Amino acid sequence: MAELLEIKDLTKKKWDFKAKWSRRTRQNFWIGVLFLAPWFIGFILFTFYPLAASFVYSFSEYHSRKPLIWVGLENYQTMFTDKLFWTSLWNTLYMVIFAVPITLLTSFLCAVLLNLKVTGQSIYRVIYFLPSIVPTVASTLLWLWILNPQAGVMNTLLGHLGINGPNWLSDPTWSKPSLILLGMWGMGSTIVIYLSGLQDVPVSLLEAAELDGANWWQRLRYITIPMVSPITLFNLITGMIFMFQYFAQAYIFRGTQGLGSPLNSTLFYSVYLFQTGFQYLKIGYASAMAWVLFIIILVCTILMLKVSDRFTYYAG
Amino acid sequence: MATTVTSSKDVRAVISEERRASLRRKKIRDFFQSLFSHTMINLVGLFFLIPFIWMLVTSVKSDQDVFHTPPRWLPYDNVTVNVNGQQLPLYNVKTESGSKELALINIVEGMGTFVDPQNPTQELQYEIQQGTTKIAEPIMHVSFRWQNFPDAMERGSRPGVGASFWVYFKNSLIIAFFTIIGTLLSNTPVAYAFARINFPGRDILFIIVLATLMLPYQVTIIPLYLFFNDYLHWGNTFLPLLIPAFFANAWDVFLLRQFFKTIPEEMCDAARVDGASEWQIFTRIVLPLSVPVLATVTVFTFLYAWNDFTGPLLFLSSPDKFTMALGLRDFQGQRTMIWNQLMAASVVFTVPIVVAFFFAQKTFIQGIKLTGSKE
Repeated sequence: MAELLEIKDLTKKKWDFKAKWSRRTRQNFWIGVLFLAPWFIGFILFTFYPLAASFVYSFSEYHSRKPLIWVGLENYQTMFTDKLFWTSLWNTLYMVIFAVPITLLTSFLCAVLLNLKVTGQSIYRVIYFLPSIVPTVASTLLWLWILNPQAGVMNTLLGHLGINGPNWLSDPTWSKPSLILLGMWGMGSTIVIYLSGLQDVPVSLLEAAELDGANWWQRLRYITIPMVSPITLFNLITGMIFMFQYFAQAYIFRGTQGLGSPLNSTLFYSVYLFQTGFQYLKIGYASAMAWVLFIIILVCTILMLKVSDRFTYYAG
Repeated sequence: MATTVTSSKDVRAVISEERRASLRRKKIRDFFQSLFSHTMINLVGLFFLIPFIWMLVTSVKSDQDVFHTPPRWLPYDNVTVNVNGQQLPLYNVKTESGSKELALINIVEGMGTFVDPQNPTQELQYEIQQGTTKIAEPIMHVSFRWQNFPDAMERGSRPGVGASFWVYFKNSLIIAFFTIIGTLLSNTPVAYAFARINFPGRDILFIIVLATLMLPYQVTIIPLYLFFNDYLHWGNTFLPLLIPAFFANAWDVFLLRQFFKTIPEEMCDAARVDGASEWQIFTRIVLPLSVPVLATVTVFTFLYAWNDFTGPLLFLSSPDKFTMALGLRDFQGQRTMIWNQLMAASVVFTVPIVVAFFFAQKTFIQGIKLTGSKE
């Protein structure tokens, strides 16, 4: 969030391009160039060049070591008729629409719980946070094991409650909820961000409301939630961007089966992009997909920022 | 006069009676509220805790216990007896003359060959199972199989290649170490220039830095892959993972710049007046004051490098170059599930991060608040 505000500030500044540089300014310029050298070289090599190259690839048919063939908009047109492309886009949207809000809501509630005055509060905080630092590969494998149909603990525990657990891994309707569950287990960092937001809500405001007879729910609804709304917006945007790029978990979660198993239900956008680019070696098509992804993310972010102006409260 | 006194006494009595009642109500309400919050925080806590416990328990289970249904919360292993110098598992066998504890020698096509530990010369044969009823059942006891850890670490993810999980562990450490060095060396001067040197074009360049934050890696990864693999021939080496770390990245530049800006400008100006060069101000004044933020960057770079799956997946192809992340995934993809060893290796993979967390808890939490970083 801070970086977005920073951009806003900087673009408001007036720049004077015609001003004559003094000796001091010129000297500073060259010192600045030297200090910036690591970033500048890296930017040209690892950001600008790949960006330009992938833009060119997206309009061509390209196999490495063979000359590039210009095909115009063909790659972009193919997407419209490519069934797997739409499947992967739908799978990704499913995660953006369901996983992001669910994770956000539950992590907010967890933060509320952790903010209560409870004995052993700091121990609970560690317990809630710890799963989020388990490496992705380890946590995904762990959940594959937990949701294992034969000897997994999940369905055994559900069985104790009298629930006949679904076939988490091989049923296409349950594979995405399984991944949401895995994501919720590791949402500790979102909880920490919310918790720090809750601690910043002025106690005086809450006490004043209590004296005026506001109950717990009213204080939460009319003070706490508006006060943490910038954090909600931040988490919403980062969560959305993360979900559009969702890859490693899905790649590992299929187990020994093919990418996207079961029945393409975990073929997310980035997974399909990986498959086209690095397995089928359709570099042009994959690059076009990457640009479409970039545009989707950009449009969604701008839309959210615009819409959120009405719902977000910035103190001060 | 007298009447007013009594009436005010009455009033006071009524008020205190009401106050006591309201206090009582509040106490009851507080009790239920606290009961509710304790219950909730514990229930939700179980969701976070149980997978951890299950990971640890599985990592010390014996092969016989891993697929036991229903799963057991403690690790079990066969009770063994020493018969003729051999450790044999003890079975509970239903014989014609009641059930007996016999040691199993082998099972051939459902027929078990047993021996009585009290009478080791005579071999007995029983079917393990008749229809659905089990005739012979192993006797198990709670036992932690620590041997899973060395067993898991000494095997590789693929048979016959020779690279073990120790090699993967070492590779992960090497990559994490050089990534941290590169990140610290390259990002600090850039962030310093953006925070403290007033040069023309600074703001435009900084906007470009921030803009690259919005760029999804999918857009650049394909040309980068071709560049590293086909042009530089760095495929299957650590270089594509390490070299970019030495050329600054937007996140760390931003994070460091925000911190450098909090260091009083007057200190730098005073040094400038005394004739210090920018490099001297940077290395002698700003860096020594920035230890907390450097710690944050170090911890988060370690987390990132240690966790990274996609980078190694793209660039590393032979098992002797695998990282822990890649090796674990490969282990699971190549073999029939050996869940106890897989979990043991996962524990080894996770432990360095948990240890780092307990040593630098504040740095972790501070870093998350600063960056709001995901993953």
